[in-house]
This record gives sequence, structure tokens and C-alpha cells, in this order.
Amino acid sequence: MVFKMNLIKKCPLFILLVSTGLIFTIIGIIGRMNVYASQEYDPLTAPILSVMFTGINDDIYPWHVFMGGDAQTMALGNGPKSEIETGILEAEKEEPQEIASAKEEDVSSDTLEKEPPERAAMASQTPEVTEALEEENKAEPFERQEPLRESTKEEIQNHVSADVYGDAGVLRAAEYEFSTVDESYFDDALFIGDSRTVGLRNYTDLSEHADFYCETSLTIYKVLEENFDNQGTVEEALENHDYGKIYLMVGINELGRGTTEDFMAEYTRVVDRLHELEPEAKIFVQGVMRVSGEKSSSDAIFNNSNINARNNAIATLADNDQFFYIDVNEAVCDEEGNLISEYTFDQIHLLGAYYDLWKQFLLVHGVEDN
Amino acid sequence: MVSFSSLEFLFRFLPIFLILYFAMPVKYRETILLVGSLVFYAVGEPVFILVLIVTTLVNYSIGMQIWKLGEGFSMHEWQKNKRKKYMTQAIALDVAVLVIFKCLAILVDNTLLPLGISFYIFKMISFQADMFRGEVWSKPSFRNVATYFTMFPQVLSGPIMRYHEGEFDRERVYSFEQFEDGIKLFVAGLGMKVLLADRLAILWNDLQMIGFQSISTPLAWLGAFAYSLRLYFDFWGYSLMASGLMVMMGFGFIENFHHPYASKSISEFYRRWHMTLGSWFRDYVYIPLGGSRCRTKRMILNLAVVWILTGIWHGNGVNYVIWGVVLGLLIILERVFYGRFLGKVPVLGNIYVLVIIPLTWIVFAITDLKQLGIYFGRLFPFLGGAGLAVNQQDIIKYMQDYSIYLIAGVLLCIPAVSRFLKKHKKNPIIVLLCVILFWTSIYFLSSSAGNPFMYLNF
Repeated sequence: MVFKMNLIKKCPLFILLVSTGLIFTIIGIIGRMNVYASQEYDPLTAPILSVMFTGINDDIYPWHVFMGGDAQTMALGNGPKSEIETGILEAEKEEPQEIASAKEEDVSSDTLEKEPPERAAMASQTPEVTEALEEENKAEPFERQEPLRESTKEEIQNHVSADVYGDAGVLRAAEYEFSTVDESYFDDALFIGDSRTVGLRNYTDLSEHADFYCETSLTIYKVLEENFDNQGTVEEALENHDYGKIYLMVGINELGRGTTEDFMAEYTRVVDRLHELEPEAKIFVQGVMRVSGEKSSSDAIFNNSNINARNNAIATLADNDQFFYIDVNEAVCDEEGNLISEYTFDQIHLLGAYYDLWKQFLLVHGVEDN
Repeated sequence: MVSFSSLEFLFRFLPIFLILYFAMPVKYRETILLVGSLVFYAVGEPVFILVLIVTTLVNYSIGMQIWKLGEGFSMHEWQKNKRKKYMTQAIALDVAVLVIFKCLAILVDNTLLPLGISFYIFKMISFQADMFRGEVWSKPSFRNVATYFTMFPQVLSGPIMRYHEGEFDRERVYSFEQFEDGIKLFVAGLGMKVLLADRLAILWNDLQMIGFQSISTPLAWLGAFAYSLRLYFDFWGYSLMASGLMVMMGFGFIENFHHPYASKSISEFYRRWHMTLGSWFRDYVYIPLGGSRCRTKRMILNLAVVWILTGIWHGNGVNYVIWGVVLGLLIILERVFYGRFLGKVPVLGNIYVLVIIPLTWIVFAITDLKQLGIYFGRLFPFLGGAGLAVNQQDIIKYMQDYSIYLIAGVLLCIPAVSRFLKKHKKNPIIVLLCVILFWTSIYFLSSSAGNPFMYLNF
């Protein structure tokens, strides 16, 4: 006892570090059985207590360990990532997917139902305009495509984004003839996106015209909830302003997370919600900007094959009437489809001076209201 | 594992090593340190560990020849000459190894440079010179010499300790207090590295991401200051961790940084920055060349040699040579012209150092000369450095995001602040602060898996 007292007096920091370390280890071991089950952890390179810290990073706090069931759902609700990693594969996964696709159908039938009355209203007001419009865009708005297949188990386990849609959506979307517009076109535009869009805001003069709701590390899962610095949420923005165009580019941060189907289900939900909030606005779903060849060939997750798979999925949302798919990669990539290396330092983001290419691309990809 | 600020090192290597080290009787501890160090190095450099082993064997055997010739009460002239010959051979060999690997790194591939070679070769050179000069006081055993060259706290990035500072074969102090002091130094170093240097590194990375041509002039200056702080806390933090480990094991504390940013001249700055390297160049290059006890012309030449070598030693790029030349030039100018003047006017010296040193760090940081030119153009736009797509408001964002790290960094540069912390190191609040620092660092290391840039999302 005396020895112990002596030890605490002589090396309190050592004792404190060891004892807190032990407590954190216990939390880690217990939590591993419930809330931390989904945290990535390699016993060779990291101590078990590190799951507590990676947990905190995902908003799972140590006290959740002792809250039992609630916390369990919390952790699993943390996104599709957890489902994959805990190995709750096929069987349990199918259910939510079915729900998601059922929802998707609901939504698309909703929009179909909604559109005719709108059109009818427009027709009754200005029949000539409608006629002209129909002549120009002879085709009916495209219907949404269904995936051709499901992600395979290997693809899910290896964080490979499966190309479940093929390029039909991209090809279909490309049929639209975009027009050249001037900068005032962006006066009623809203841009939503991650750090790439932050760059577009900071290094072009588009922000003098359009509103930007963008933040580094934004994902499709956060687009609607995110409280943007000094700005509020996207929903608030849409309530307070009338936007004619909404541009969305997210998807690179989600690459390591969930399947293409998971991503697409959420992307569809978000886009439909945006449409619901601002029915008049044209929604531009933008293909995710690719990374450089150097990055693409060396990264298992952040590579262009994964990006292309997700872009193929995003493109299927284009109906060339309300929803348009545009792909800035046409303006910044080489023939092999890699981000041109002179345009980037970190192989992911454009250098400030090259954001103008994106702006110029947008200027020739306008959709004029008739 | 080879980084002190990695979870593998902190939670795998270090605890196992320390338990073995202290479980062993005192006389075997050197052996445990040697074996542990070889394991540590082998993990990082499984092939090139051969270079370390071979140079260790060669240096020891030549060193022993020098020792044997020096035994006895008096030395004949032939003995003295032979000792000198051995020393010259050994040093020539060491320099050759370093030069060959540096050239391979430049001409073929950077990965061909064995980890820590610049540091352990410098230790070997100093060992030979110290043997010759009689600054190694008792006959060194192979175990001790090998431990000195390879010891894991120092093998990668110094401090470049001298053999006699290792106090091998002498009774070392093993006490709980000493161990506790070592932990405190280590935790302080870890906090500086992870919580300051690694955070500020992201700012510098951001500037590169934006492209130097597109940063505003205020941001260019902020970048220069932030880089200066980042480099300082990276290296000071590392040195504190290394010395903390040594202190935990019962060695003496080796000071490598002594409030350099509080200096009043560039020469003073480099007496306080990376002190073990500075004193190495002083003792093994500058003074043997004649130092400053000679004609001014000769002294200027000596300084020039030292600083060109310092530049080359720091890296494989023309920018490092330019960096060394600029520093050498400034130090020569101080010696010959305005040095005394700087000392006389209060604050003038400080301002001079705080403006010039960050500018020299920019030269140090940017290996691409064209980019270097662009950066200086942004620092001094009136010299014709027009930017491209510059966002004039960028400084606001970066001040918001980084001011907490910048303020903490500036505070730690003030000698009085760290003196205060040192004086009250036993205060429970400081101890508690260390606990928080440690676990916050672990939080960052866990969530970014050791790579600060991994923490960045896009």
C-alpha cells in the first residue's frame, strides 16, 4: 500500500496513463461486442482501445457501450458501411433494398402522377408555348432505369462500387442538346457539393451569381441534414429562395461506403426531395469529378472505375426534362479518362486556376426555359 | 512502426520493449536496447539494415585500432600518424557510403536512401573523431558502440548524440522520477507533433492543392509562418520524443532546440535550432578548418563550406543548396557587417529573424524552383508575381480554421511560457494536461491511421 502511494506520488502521469489506458481497453473490448462491432480494427497495428476513438469519430461515444440495444441500432444506423463490415450480408441486406426500391417506385409513380396535371395546367395557360416545347423536346421525359444486376458479394467485401447500371443512362442523358448561356443564367442557381464545389465557389466568380451550399467531406447522406456554416440547411435555402437550377456534385467521399445500390437509393431520395421542395427548378446531377491516373491506379477505393460506376448510376436519374446529367470530366480529363495531372497537385482537386474549366463547361451546358 | 507517433510504436513496440528493459538486470539492459533497436530498424528497413550493420562493424573495428594505438602513457610520432591515418580512412569510408546512397537516391530512386543514414553516419564520423581526440574515455565495448550507432530513439532522425554523452558503462540513474520525466517529455513531443505540426501540415497541403499562383499575398505570408511553426513542432516534437525515450531508459536529456524563434540573429537561430547538428558541423568541420580564429577571408570560406554542406545534407534538391547558401551568406554578412548592430537595437533582431527565417523555410519547403519562384512572387507581388484566379478572401477562411493552432504554436515559441510549464511540471494540472494531450493525440492517430492527410475528406 505504502509502495503504491509512493508510486502515485513519484510518477502520477505514468499511473494515470496506464489506468486510463486500461479503462479505455475495457471499453474497447466490451464495445467490440456491440457498438464498436463495425469499427475497422487490425490487432496487429493498433490497440483495441483505438476503436473507442474511431467510434467517437463516427459519433458513437463510450457511454453508448453501456446503453445496450439502443446503441446497437445507432451504430448500425450509421450507414451501409457497418452492414458490410459486420458481415450481415445478403439475407438481411435484401430487405432494406427491397424497401428502397419499392420507395423508388412509389416516388417515380408519384412524379408521373404529378406531372400530367402540371402539364395540363401549363397547357391551359399557354397552349402555344407548350406545343413549341413539345416539338423541341419531342420525346417524353425518360423514365428511371432499373439496375441491370446486383452488387456481388466480392464487390461488397472489397469496397468495389459495382457498375450495376451500365452506361445506358449516360448515353441517354447525352442526347439532350444543351445550350450556351451567359453568367446571369446562374443568378437563380444553387450549387450543392463537397470540397470540389468549395473550390468552384472559391476560385471562380460564379459565387457572385449563384448560392453555394458546400462543405468539405459532404456526402449524399448529409446533404439534407447538414447545417452549412452561417447558411443553414439546404431545405431552408429552398424555402427562402426560388431557385431555377440546382446543381449537385457529391459522391467521392462515399466511395468507400456502401454499395452502388445503397448510394443510389439515397441519391434518388435526395434528388426527389429537392424536386419536391422546388418543383420548378431544373436539377443538374453532376457526374463526380475523377481523380488523376496516379491516384486511380494506386487507390483501392478512390479510383476512376469506382467513380465511373457511381456516375453511371447517377446518370440514370436524368429525364432530360427536369433532371439533367452533366459530366465535367469531359472538360478536365485526358483520353484515358483520368484527371489531367497538370491540373492537380493532390491528384483529387483541381488547382485553383483550373476551376475556370468547370465554369466554362457549365456555361455551355445550360438548359433554357421556354 | 518506425514513427514514434504511430499506434504500433506506442502500443506494441514501446510497452513490450520497456517491460523487457526494466525486467532485465541492469547489466543486460544495453543488450536489450541493442536487440530492440535492431528489431525496430529492421521493421522499417528490412534490406538496408545491412548497411547499418556493416558500417557499424567497420567503424567499430577501425575505432578499436585507433584506441589500441592510443593506449599507454605516451605516444610515439608514428603512433600518432597511424591513428590519424585510421581516422581519416574511417571518415572517408563513412562519407563515401553517405555520398553513394545520396547519389543513388537522386539518380535512381528516393527509396534507395536507407532510413536515418544521414544521422547514423554522422554519429559514426563523430565517433571516429572523438576516438582520435581522446574524447572517448574508457575502452568501448562492441555492444556499447553498436548500441550507440543503432539505438532506436535516435537512429532515424537524431538527436546526433556524442558517444560520451551516452554514458555507457557508467551507472545510470534508474528512478521513478526519471522515468516520469521521460514520459512527460515524450507526451509533450507527441502533442506537438500530432496536435500542432500535423494540423498545420494540412494548411501547407491546402496551399499546394490550390496552387501557389492562386493564393493571396496575405495567405502566402500566413503559409510561410505556418510552415515555420509546423517544421519547428514537427522536429522539436520528434526530438523531445526521442530524448524522452532516452530519459525513460535512464540516459541524460539531449537538448536539440532551445527557443530558436526567440533569437536575435540568424547565427544565433542556428545555435538554437537542431543544436546537435549545428555543434556537429562546428566541431567536425568548422573548427578543424580553422574556425574563426583566422583571417576574415579564411573564416568566410569556412562558413561557406559549412553551410553548403549543411544544405546538401538536408535533402536531394537544388533548393536545399540554395537554402544553405542563403543562410551561409546571411551569417557571413552578420559576422562581417551588421551583426553587432542587430544586438544593440532592441526588438530589431527579433523582427529580422522572424521575417527572414520563414522566407528561408519557404526555400527549404519547395523543391520545384519554378514553384518556388511563383511563391516568392505571391509573397512580394510588387516584384511582378501576378496571381491567377486568386481568391482575395482566402486568408479569412484560413485564419478561422487555423488560428487556434497558430496561437498555441506562437505561445510555445515564447521562452517564458515553456519555462513556466517546466517549472510547474509536477503540478497536478500540468499532469492532467499531459493525460489529455496524450489521449487527444491518440484520438487523432486512431481516426487518421497515422496519416494526417487521411483525416482530410474531400
